[in-house]
Amino acid sequence: MKIAACIKWVALRPDIDPLSGSVETDDRFSGVSAADQAAVEWALRMGEAWGASVTVATVGASIAESALRDALACGATTAIRIDIEHPLPSAAVGRELAAALADADLIVCGDWSLDRGSGSVPPFLAHARGAEQACGLVALSLDATGVVRAERRLDGGRRERLIVRAPAVLAVEGSTARLRRAPLGGVLSSARSSIDVRTPSTPNPAEPVRLVHARPFRPRTKIVDGPHGSVRDRSNALLGMGSTRTPPQRLVLDPEVAAEHILAALHAWGEIDDPASAEGQ
Amino acid sequence: MPDFEVVVVGAGPAGSIAALSLARLGHSVCLLERGPFPGSKNVYGGVIYGRILDELIPHWWEHAPVQRWITRRGTMLLTDHQSLCIDYRSTAWAQAPYNGATAYRPDFDKWLADEAVKAGATLVSSTTATGLVRTNRGLVGGVKTDREGDLMANVVIACDGVNSFLAKEAGLYPNFSKDHLTLGVKEVLALPRQEIEARFGIRSGTNEGADLEIVGGTQGIAGGGFVYTNLDTISIGAVLSLGGLSASKVRPEEVIAGLKAHPSLAPLVDGAELKEYSAHLIPEGGFDAMPEVVGDGLLVAGDAAGLCLAAGLWLEGVNYAIGSGKCAADAVHEAIAKGNFSKAGLVSYKDRLEATFVLRNHRKTRKAAHLLLSDRLQNRYPQIACDLLEQLYTVEDPLPKRGALTIGRALWKGSGLRIRHALRDGRDALKIYG
Amino acid sequence: MTDISRRESVLAFDDRMATVDFRISHTAHITVDSEVCRSCTTRACLVACPAKLFVTTNDGGILFNYEQCFECGTCYAVCNNEGAITWNYPEGGHGVVFRHG
Repeated sequence: MKIAACIKWVALRPDIDPLSGSVETDDRFSGVSAADQAAVEWALRMGEAWGASVTVATVGASIAESALRDALACGATTAIRIDIEHPLPSAAVGRELAAALADADLIVCGDWSLDRGSGSVPPFLAHARGAEQACGLVALSLDATGVVRAERRLDGGRRERLIVRAPAVLAVEGSTARLRRAPLGGVLSSARSSIDVRTPSTPNPAEPVRLVHARPFRPRTKIVDGPHGSVRDRSNALLGMGSTRTPPQRLVLDPEVAAEHILAALHAWGEIDDPASAEGQ
Repeated sequence: MPDFEVVVVGAGPAGSIAALSLARLGHSVCLLERGPFPGSKNVYGGVIYGRILDELIPHWWEHAPVQRWITRRGTMLLTDHQSLCIDYRSTAWAQAPYNGATAYRPDFDKWLADEAVKAGATLVSSTTATGLVRTNRGLVGGVKTDREGDLMANVVIACDGVNSFLAKEAGLYPNFSKDHLTLGVKEVLALPRQEIEARFGIRSGTNEGADLEIVGGTQGIAGGGFVYTNLDTISIGAVLSLGGLSASKVRPEEVIAGLKAHPSLAPLVDGAELKEYSAHLIPEGGFDAMPEVVGDGLLVAGDAAGLCLAAGLWLEGVNYAIGSGKCAADAVHEAIAKGNFSKAGLVSYKDRLEATFVLRNHRKTRKAAHLLLSDRLQNRYPQIACDLLEQLYTVEDPLPKRGALTIGRALWKGSGLRIRHALRDGRDALKIYG
Repeated sequence: MTDISRRESVLAFDDRMATVDFRISHTAHITVDSEVCRSCTTRACLVACPAKLFVTTNDGGILFNYEQCFECGTCYAVCNNEGAITWNYPEGGHGVVFRHG
């Protein structure tokens, strides 16, 4: 059994100039997101529960190795870095990870990264591996070897319970687990561990979508009509002055006749279409 | 079998230099830092004087992440509406090897720690030392950390800052008290570069800078203030004695607000945007408040050893941290050669400190804390000096001019101060600065 | 006083603290024995703490939070009631992270 976790080195506290929109990042304020940390933690738990090896992988520049070393310090077995200088599109990242983790049975990813945030790498990775995918997981529990029971977030606050069997790609949310604190021995040995650095299999993947030009979002002008009528008319209309109004009536009727009255009233208020058709239903 | 020969706790200037020196001498050394990166917990109030680095890192000024080189140094006396500034400027300080520099400590300390790592030290960050491990012979033989597993070493150098929990645990700091501490609070304010240069009278387009130290203006709390320039920010702050602060009803940030509103400082900081608010304790007790710096298997350096020169004209700390870190490394090197890590084996640290500027300057200025935080120095003398100049400069025609002596005598009488106090203060000042 | 400096002078304390980066640990590194504080007359921590972490409660105790702590040590240095405030460094890698210190 082989488990893998995928992480991404991102700026955790980017400095965004409100005027120019330029983004400044600082390696000291960068790292991996809570979701990616949860992914590493789940991979380690699976490794412990099932006696499996745990590989951590990232696609990124050499600075990302410090995040890999953190994972090694926590107990991961091996670390792979696919060396790129510039960010790749998600599909290419998915392909690169699939190639590097070809022998992994279960791959755990963070649900989405903090910088791009589309959450599309796990599905691309699953597609490239030809594996099942379970994304947006908010709760997990480990079952027999290679089997995970998971709960997935759906729209409208609904949940979906899944049983996922290897081979599969799981994408977990940050709230599912907190990454353990690495023991001192792990920290010391991880500083000396070697990291498997690979060159991308497709050096310059064709970008399916190329950004030609972007400009800041400017909402379209919305034309709002000015008020009609005089101030007096409008305040009268608001207060209901001058308009005729039927005073409430108290009727004592047989149930059948009363129902007809109610239906007629509902129709008059526009709540139902037609008393006759409503009666038919 | 220890993990390392030496564990240095705290990757500030003292720790990084100790680790760098030991690594260069061929020892295995672990540099422990509780912040996510070195410098992340550190704050200071002015200038780094780097002369002590010349030997350790040749041409350090070409590599260090410096904001501005100080070419203007001022000491300001403030009363509520007056200010008197001794304002010294020198272009000689604008050239290598420079005199002092301003920097952001998260940049500077990280750079120093990286130098130590380059020299061969092992940096372990995000790890807090929570206590000392004693060997069966009673010597300190390592530190407990907030991670699983202890870090064992022959010697521990505690550079863990002003609150030094390690020195306290070892019983070396029995006199730790709020009376020896001041609280530094600081605001970093953003302004365009050219604007800073114009406001502080710095040659435009250069990386020259100004550092103004302030006496008074702290709303009755004994202490002082400072303003200094970074590349595109100004740092302004107050240093407040904890005794005075806790007895007052004024909060620290209100003291800064008071300084910023002072008519002679407001034009410098007007309209600047707050980038960061910070605070840190400063060990200003001086020579007489220092802890024991040598224990069995343990040395204490930097702020943890109470090394900080707060003597009015001289306000220095980073250089003493570096100096003590170097002395500690040399002492440990000697102890390793002798194989004796007890107090007796490490005692040369104290001698080394005594032989260098580190303790000699502290000894020379030992009366400074007492003198400078006294009411006379804080309030009375500045008031007399400002009033004297105000009356000298005020033209009161048709009244004939009064001489400085006449004015001075009248002011002195009015102040109710005693001549013998002034003489004693003068004698102390001569001992410190003479 | 210009408009800008007037705005600056009323900068809310929360906005001031918002300029500082904190990596908040899930365990508190400050504990306060509110029983001891009830009998405290000086309450120096209220005024001295530069991050304003200590506030009084209606029943005379002290409420504190640890999240936005500068880790300066002022609170326990000014506290004159032995054992009222215990204070240690937060877990490694957490707590305040200065950018311009």
